[in-house]
Amino acid sequence: MLPIPVIQVLQVLTIIGAGPGVSGVIARVEARLQGRRGPRVLQPYYDLAKLFRKEALAPAGASWVFLAAPVAAFTCYLTVPLLIPVLTTFPLPLGYMGDILGGGFILSLAGFLVAVAALETGSPYAQLGASRAKTFAAITEPVVLFVVFTVALLTATDLPYALAATVRSSAGQIIRPAHVLAAAALFMVILYETGRIPVETHSGTNEFGMIEEARSFEHSGPYFALLKWGSAAKQLILYTILLNVFVAPWGLAATRQPWAVVLAMAALPAKACVLGGVVAVIDNSFAKLRLFKITEFAAAAFLLAVLGVFTLYLGGG
Amino acid sequence: MLPAQAPSVYTGAANVIAVLILLAEFGMFRQALLRDQVRLYAGQSVLIAVLAVLVAAVRHLPELYVLAAVTVALKAVAIPLVLRRLLRGTAPGHPLDVSHDIAGSGGLGLASTVLIGIAVAAFGFFSATVLPVSGGGAPVTALSVSLSVVLVAFVLMIHRRDVASQAIGLFSLENGISLAALVVAASLPLILEVALLFDLLLAVVVFGLLIRLHHGRAETLSTTDLTDLRG
Amino acid sequence: MNAVVIVLLVLPLAAGVAAIWLPSGAAGAVTAATGVASFGLVLALIPAVSHRDTGVLGFVRVDALSVVFLLATSFLYACVAVYSIGYLRTAGRHGHGDQRYARHFWAGLNVFAWSMLMAPAMSNLALLWIAIEVTTIISALLVALEGTDGAAEAAWKYVLLASAGLAIALLGTIFLYYAGSHVLGQTYNLAFGPLLGAAAKLPHTVVRLAFVLAVLGYGTKVGLFPVHTWLPDAHSEAPTPVSALLSGSLLAVSFYAILRFYQIAAAALGSGFPRDVLLVFGVASLLLAALYLLDQQDYKRLLAYSSVEHMGILAIGVSFGAPVALAGVLLHVLAHAAAKGNAFMGAGVLVRKFGTKQMLSVTGGLDLLPWSGPLFLAAILALSAMPPFGIFRSEFEIVTGGLAASHDTAAVILVVLVTVAFLGLSVAANRMLLTPRPEPDAVRGEPSVWMVVPVVAGLVALVVLGLHPPGELVGLLDRAVTALRGPA
Repeated sequence: MLPIPVIQVLQVLTIIGAGPGVSGVIARVEARLQGRRGPRVLQPYYDLAKLFRKEALAPAGASWVFLAAPVAAFTCYLTVPLLIPVLTTFPLPLGYMGDILGGGFILSLAGFLVAVAALETGSPYAQLGASRAKTFAAITEPVVLFVVFTVALLTATDLPYALAATVRSSAGQIIRPAHVLAAAALFMVILYETGRIPVETHSGTNEFGMIEEARSFEHSGPYFALLKWGSAAKQLILYTILLNVFVAPWGLAATRQPWAVVLAMAALPAKACVLGGVVAVIDNSFAKLRLFKITEFAAAAFLLAVLGVFTLYLGGG
Repeated sequence: MLPAQAPSVYTGAANVIAVLILLAEFGMFRQALLRDQVRLYAGQSVLIAVLAVLVAAVRHLPELYVLAAVTVALKAVAIPLVLRRLLRGTAPGHPLDVSHDIAGSGGLGLASTVLIGIAVAAFGFFSATVLPVSGGGAPVTALSVSLSVVLVAFVLMIHRRDVASQAIGLFSLENGISLAALVVAASLPLILEVALLFDLLLAVVVFGLLIRLHHGRAETLSTTDLTDLRG
Repeated sequence: MNAVVIVLLVLPLAAGVAAIWLPSGAAGAVTAATGVASFGLVLALIPAVSHRDTGVLGFVRVDALSVVFLLATSFLYACVAVYSIGYLRTAGRHGHGDQRYARHFWAGLNVFAWSMLMAPAMSNLALLWIAIEVTTIISALLVALEGTDGAAEAAWKYVLLASAGLAIALLGTIFLYYAGSHVLGQTYNLAFGPLLGAAAKLPHTVVRLAFVLAVLGYGTKVGLFPVHTWLPDAHSEAPTPVSALLSGSLLAVSFYAILRFYQIAAAALGSGFPRDVLLVFGVASLLLAALYLLDQQDYKRLLAYSSVEHMGILAIGVSFGAPVALAGVLLHVLAHAAAKGNAFMGAGVLVRKFGTKQMLSVTGGLDLLPWSGPLFLAAILALSAMPPFGIFRSEFEIVTGGLAASHDTAAVILVVLVTVAFLGLSVAANRMLLTPRPEPDAVRGEPSVWMVVPVVAGLVALVVLGLHPPGELVGLLDRAVTALRGPA
């Protein structure tokens, strides 16, 4: 029987440890789909190691915020795994520290800090990326809120653990329209938050279309490494929320037995890689939306979330 | 507040199909190409047929199997064929591309129209809740969805500025009414339902003739210049 | 009796199919014969139906209410068929003399009349909807027949709005089916008789919703405000004989559908709610039409707005509810068919004579048209409810019924607005008929005798209805009114 604090630490370690790996898998799958061999799956780790060895530079007018932001953001990404069901089906003590709204808050805080740091730099591309990111966030945040409402209406609480338990309880819960719509809306938000097609091209630099990628333009060295690591961790966190709360809440440890926990630690990246495969297929199937059409994308996600609330609240579904 | 009661798998599945029909209706806002709108309409009709099969299987109404087959044959195959042939006849060789950015001179972009559609659909949902309906057919949420489909189809018809899109909007409105029929009138005698469908086919042919006439006179499918008759 | 009904329903369709192959002259003769025969068949139905309903083949049901509308339609069918012979003969000077136009015209006219005869004879609300849908799509093709820009625009507006309205009506029908299935079991077929019998037990909310949807939906085809906007365009751009049928018969047949829903709703809900709904729509339509009548440039459009006005009067009459008002409503259906038919037929003569639909270009009608001029003037006066014509009698009965049922305000509003409409119509008629012709070289004479005879027949019918409706007809109307009032 593993002691609880160990499981909590393992939760955080799984997320930040497996995050870059999932990115690597996605890049490789995408390359394979395009007929190339693609980079090694572990390439992101090597990239991080290389960046940590490099020298850090800061622009002339930047203040301490510019250097503190990547660290603070990474800290946020370390905190959120404590709140969501990463490894276990039963809530861990620190899991009551915040509900799903709190988790969303902390993720937004991280994004805000990085955006402020980008504004500090005075570089046009970084500022452009930051302003775009926050503009579109103003449209996608309501979507996330509606998804949270759906979740809350379904389970009478907004603890992610409780929702996962409800979804596991019967097949009827999975197929109800409110649940399906909320999951679809959340998936679209995740595509936006992780900077994937159809919102943004993840690979390569396309300055006129960059949103997320542009914010880290001016950072270098270990700070850049922390930013990249953080966004990989954010990606895995969002995938975990989608998978372990909405779509596939299986493979989590129901007890504190060591083998159950290890199994859960392996199951999570596996599920995330499957989801990543889906994202890679979407990457290769669609074209990037022009910037002014991203509002349509966000409106579509909003539509799905609102319909989820309607069918649940007004339609009994 | 207690956690929401889980519906049965049948209710959930039927409601998901109904919501997909509503999403197809919203999808028609997005599609600018007429060819894609016709495909969306065909897809919507297939969804109605699937729902009919589901209701038939669970509620033991074998007539609905026949209805589903006739729906697919007429609304998913015959009518799109007729429409596509008529559209192809209006611009030799190429599927007609009427972008709603040009034709929709009402000035509303897609996102605003979707928001209006959401408001209208909300009204549809609210209005269905006051009806004490307990059907022998599809679950009751589908009735709310069907009223929303009808209202959103009206918004679509108002927003679109070319004759073909308006016609397809009308046909999708009829799809919404078929959905409502599946909820409250699932055991309407088959002969009447089939007669209704054939009547729809006839209406499609006439619509097509009038679209051809309009295109022949005006050289465009746009309705922005239909302002001669006023007062 | 069954044979009469079957022949009545089959003959026009056969004529329409035959007209596709026959040359124009023969098709015209066949159509005229069919029209007159239909009218005769309906007249033969009157005595039988005054005593009991007739049902045939399970899907046909003819009762007194149906026969009133069948009478209006068949009379106008006969008149318009004869009139069209002259209309097409004089078309050569205006470029429509080709065979293709004539073939489409005759076939379409017959099928259109057939569908309008089918609708009141259907026993089943779903078949009623299908019949009215068929009338919509056939008439849309007929409206577009002229091939002008205006005709294409009018046809598109008409078919789109009318089909949308009928879709709403279908939703209402489905909800009524749902209401009925509570009482009559899951698999009944919307047959009208059983539904009316079980009406008292129907759930109220659903019937209310179904009734409002039906009034809104079928009201689109009747031309009630606010869904009347297609009406002036379609009725003015269609070929004139078709306009006569549209205004005189089609609006009435669509109103018949509303009356059926009214019967069920009144039986289920009590008469308060259905009457209020009809009153609102009727007054709004009448008000709008009266105002628009004051400012028209196109005389066919003028007549179309007059149709909106009269449909509003019908709705108001039903909402009064007193037996004399209901009798007035049904008499109004007959008299309006005759008067509107006459008016449009006269308008058609004006079109043939003067070559334009603009009122400003038409002057000196009485001088140049020795028969049609006075006949058109008489038709306009009839539409304005002048004695001794039938519409005076019917509107008088409606107002009497309103005062008897203590709907004083509504009756007063009715009279005031009818007077306003009279102002609009008479100014137009004055300008067109009673002014002298400026250039003295215009030819005085009728374009065709075929276009005069039916109008005379219509005038005779109007005078008969106004002065002394035949006893059989009164008996028919009484039985229909009893059916409408339902269990008192």
